Amino acid sequence: MTAVALPQEVAAPASSRRRWLRRYALAVAGGVVILFWFAVALLAPVISPFNPEFVDIASRLQPPSYAHWLGTDALGRDVLSRVLYGSRISLIAGFSVVVISAVFGTVLGAIAAYARGRVEDLLMRLTDLVLCFPPIILAMAIAAALGIGTTNTIIAMLIVWWPKYARLARSLVLVQRSQEYVEAAHVLGFGHAHILFRHVVPNAIGPLIVMVTLDLGNAILVFAGLSFLGLGVVPPTPEWGAMVAEGRELVQQWWVATFPGIAILSVVMGFNFVGDGIRDWLDPHARRR
Amino acid sequence: MTTKYRQLNRRQFIQALSASALGVTGLAAFPGFAQAQGRKNALLIGLDIGDSITFDPARLAQYSSPMTVHNAYDTLVTMNPGDYINLKPNLATSWAYRPDGKAIRFTLLKGAKFASGNPVTAEDVKWSLERVINLKDQPAQYIAHVDKVEIVSPDTVDIVMKDPTQPLLTILAAPSFSIMDSKLLMAQGGTAALDAKEADKATTWLNGNSGGSAAWNFTAWERNQQIQLARNPNFRGEKPGFERIVIRHMSESAAQLLALKRGDIDIAFNLIPEQIATLKGDPQIDIIGTPSLDFIYMAVAANAEANPALAKKQNRHAIGCAIDYDGIINSLIGGSAVRPVSFLPVGVNGSTAELTKQIGFQQDLAKAKKLLAEAGNPDGFAFDLTYSNNAIAGVSYQNLAQKLQGDLARVGIKVNLNPIDQVNLRTLFTQGKLQAVLTFWNPPAVENQLWASATVNRVAKRVHWVPPEAMMKIVNDASAERDLAKAAVLWRKYQEGMVDAANLFVLIQPTYQIAVRKSVAGFKPTAAGWMAELGVTKPV
Amino acid sequence: MLRYLTNRVVTAFVMVLLATLVIFLIANTAPGDPALAQLGDLAASNPEYVKAFRAKWGLDLPLWERYWIFLKGVAHGDFGISIMSQRPVLDDIRDFAPATIELATIAFLLSILIGIPLGILAAVKRDSWIDHVARFVSLIGVSAPTFWLAFIMLAVFYGWLEIAPGPGRVDPIALLPPKVTGMLLIDCILAGDWETLRDAAAHLVLPATVLAAATLGLITRTTRASMLESLSQDYVRVARAKGLPEWRIVLGHALRNALIPVVTLGGLAYANLLTGAVMTETVFSWPGLGRYTFRSAVAVDFPAIMAITFIVAVVYIAINFLVDMSYAFLDPRAVKR
Repeated sequence: MTAVALPQEVAAPASSRRRWLRRYALAVAGGVVILFWFAVALLAPVISPFNPEFVDIASRLQPPSYAHWLGTDALGRDVLSRVLYGSRISLIAGFSVVVISAVFGTVLGAIAAYARGRVEDLLMRLTDLVLCFPPIILAMAIAAALGIGTTNTIIAMLIVWWPKYARLARSLVLVQRSQEYVEAAHVLGFGHAHILFRHVVPNAIGPLIVMVTLDLGNAILVFAGLSFLGLGVVPPTPEWGAMVAEGRELVQQWWVATFPGIAILSVVMGFNFVGDGIRDWLDPHARRR
Repeated sequence: MTTKYRQLNRRQFIQALSASALGVTGLAAFPGFAQAQGRKNALLIGLDIGDSITFDPARLAQYSSPMTVHNAYDTLVTMNPGDYINLKPNLATSWAYRPDGKAIRFTLLKGAKFASGNPVTAEDVKWSLERVINLKDQPAQYIAHVDKVEIVSPDTVDIVMKDPTQPLLTILAAPSFSIMDSKLLMAQGGTAALDAKEADKATTWLNGNSGGSAAWNFTAWERNQQIQLARNPNFRGEKPGFERIVIRHMSESAAQLLALKRGDIDIAFNLIPEQIATLKGDPQIDIIGTPSLDFIYMAVAANAEANPALAKKQNRHAIGCAIDYDGIINSLIGGSAVRPVSFLPVGVNGSTAELTKQIGFQQDLAKAKKLLAEAGNPDGFAFDLTYSNNAIAGVSYQNLAQKLQGDLARVGIKVNLNPIDQVNLRTLFTQGKLQAVLTFWNPPAVENQLWASATVNRVAKRVHWVPPEAMMKIVNDASAERDLAKAAVLWRKYQEGMVDAANLFVLIQPTYQIAVRKSVAGFKPTAAGWMAELGVTKPV
Repeated sequence: MLRYLTNRVVTAFVMVLLATLVIFLIANTAPGDPALAQLGDLAASNPEYVKAFRAKWGLDLPLWERYWIFLKGVAHGDFGISIMSQRPVLDDIRDFAPATIELATIAFLLSILIGIPLGILAAVKRDSWIDHVARFVSLIGVSAPTFWLAFIMLAVFYGWLEIAPGPGRVDPIALLPPKVTGMLLIDCILAGDWETLRDAAAHLVLPATVLAAATLGLITRTTRASMLESLSQDYVRVARAKGLPEWRIVLGHALRNALIPVVTLGGLAYANLLTGAVMTETVFSWPGLGRYTFRSAVAVDFPAIMAITFIVAVVYIAINFLVDMSYAFLDPRAVKR
């Protein structure tokens, strides 16, 4: 019997490693993709074969070739260079929207949960108010009022973006607040701010990180969507959503719209894979086995 | 034919597979028998009709609706495709200035009938034109110089003018001045009386029906979906080859291309040059070009407060000399366009493509640099170019603006692009608040005076140009001149003046490329905004 | 309870007021003037016409008065006349909304019919190949840009393989059934027009798939997570101990409880589908509300913008209210606050 049992015991770590690998393979792959795009964004000037804004009308709409790996667009610009440079705007937009609204929303939500009473009511009604705007109308109204441009689009997104963080933070803090260690801190005479930001927030940060990671992909997607509708960037700045818009009429010249679309898909997928992995990892039910 | 047969089989085979695989949602369309029958009798058109607001001729101000109106109604006079100088009779067989010079007398065609069966009479002419005037909508502006319409006899009318030097005949050829079935229209709440602006109730009816005498009867309009026309049984001319026309709203050109290739539509109007290029040589499809009278232009304001550099004439001339006109036409629109000297499109009296070579701007970078130096800006200057996210004839303003940006950069002029929405653009441009604009002009009627007076009046204000007295006089004299040859000489002078002022740079006058399946014969496009003569089309 | 309800209704009322007011003010700060944009070029430079236009649409009144007129209209169920289409906004919405509702509903059904079983399977067979496939598929669905996916689907299935019908709701030649609900599937059934029904159903496949992609991922992931949660609960263990068959435990005990968050999320996702179909509608030439919203916003069509804002706000608040009510129902403590 022992002879039979032994190989099983030896195999256990191996199979658990395999399971770990299988479970987190996607997350690792996502991480690699994100690192890849970060490197591209940083090194775009070095690795781009052409100036992404250089108009060469004579060589427009050329299919992928040795000179232009991903072909050229309607103004003869190199699609590869534009896709590479496009990563900059997308990552910057995604990060600024998510980071700013996460910080802002979390602070507001934490304050609301901690203060309770009228402050909480007011803040939560404010999030309700923002959430009931039709986002397209709001974004377009802001674009019409402020003008089209990357910064203005980010502002429009920020306005509708922060409430979900406020809500999440509030519910997390509400849970933490009732924990014993908070009461202990009170008894010890620590101030409100100290308790909130030194004890409560750090303990609630896990779900927030999951949300931020998953949300980065989402923000990049929405920004690209607004660009697709013509609200995003001022040309000739390369941006993926705008590039798909430029190519969507060109069914025969499929490369113009296809590659920037794949770029969006891959980077968003990267963030989602990683976020999903972190969620699993933090989730006690998932970790137990 | 064999290839088509095989293709159909493959398609049906895969359809059958997918139908069984996808279950309910995969009820992929086997074209049913009745539908296939209906297809043969109908002419199917793909067109972007998103701009349609009304099909009431007296209220027309949009871009896509005139085609429907033109095919359902007749005007007194008309033009033949390709000839925008000589008028052709339509409901009027002849016309002449009355001896006192204050009116034009029209003799009406005998025996013409409306779709309802009512005869076309002088009464209808009077009613239709007076309704336009009294509704006080956009088209009323173009015949503001008409005083009244007098009935001389059942088949003769006089149109009396307040200012007979102003042109009228060319304007009356436009679809807005269609002759309508007054008996039918009055039964639908229409009125031509002085209080028509408030009292007329016929527009709603006219948005789904027509009361005209042309080959087709407009029978239905579903917003952003489709327009339908049926054969007019009482049409005096040759019976159209199709029983009905369905104009399908397709806002995306890619969708039109695919639908055309599949045979889901017969005619595609809004294909972009790249798509047209791929269709050339397709055995199933003809490409028919229509020289249009529309053009895309860049307006540059001489407003020293907004941009002192642009206020200097040499700098504006430098812009004119730096643009790669041929590159724009040959690449962005695949060569299917011409370029007029200035604000008179090629094809109207006094404007030809040859004239552009003689007196229009030409690309000359050395000259542009010299002009910049003379203006005191040897290193160039910067200005904002505003445009909206639209496309005309498949040329997106965005691409054109980026091309201009690249061209002007070569002489040191920096163009900052400013994309905004159409409403803001029109507002700010009309108020004269923009430094430079990329926009579009399409004529309500083929009349030189309408273009020219715009440039010396309202458009001049927008670009902060004060036209000299001499220029105003040239426009007035040319408009009043009834001898075409003498008028042409005056119009040339006008165009020279416009080039000298260098506020308006006309870049592209497209030749609209319409793709038609070979199963349709006799398709005859016309220019001038009403786009196609659909009465003579036939199935093969 | 009654106090709670009144409180909610009053809050909802104030919210809708504020939402419309904010949009109204933002839209008014834009320099665009509908009069100059809508009138033809010649008319726009004639002050008399511009003045008449402004008077006709009430654009010459002070801001507060215009907003007041809007409110008064809403109280009578009248949203005014669209500047762009020149007919009552409600007529416009009545025309465009059914197309979007039909599309969103089909997309929603598609995503729950596939998403929930997939999520259950993934939870039950955790860490098996089916779990990994489900995860991969749903994450791709969430990650694909709708506008791009729509383009690719149209090009591949319609343009290249020729197995799907093209853009639009029906074939250009199809005779539409008499309009009852505006939703073609229902109207065709009512009229007994099976040919057009098949046609309309076929036209729904591609856009509904595109629209369903993101929602499908969301629903699969949520179902899986909440199934895992409820499978680890004590009552499941008790049931297992009692020796009940596994399928009864999963479908009978665990699923019922696991569905609650899915339903909540599903409700919100459906609301998002209704308002978020702009891009799919654009690429598929679908004459729906998303497209109408976009066009109204571009044209600064105040009555239309205000009406859409109002309706979206009401729908959002109503769904939120239902969600809260379901919480209150499940957990009475939530109400006391």
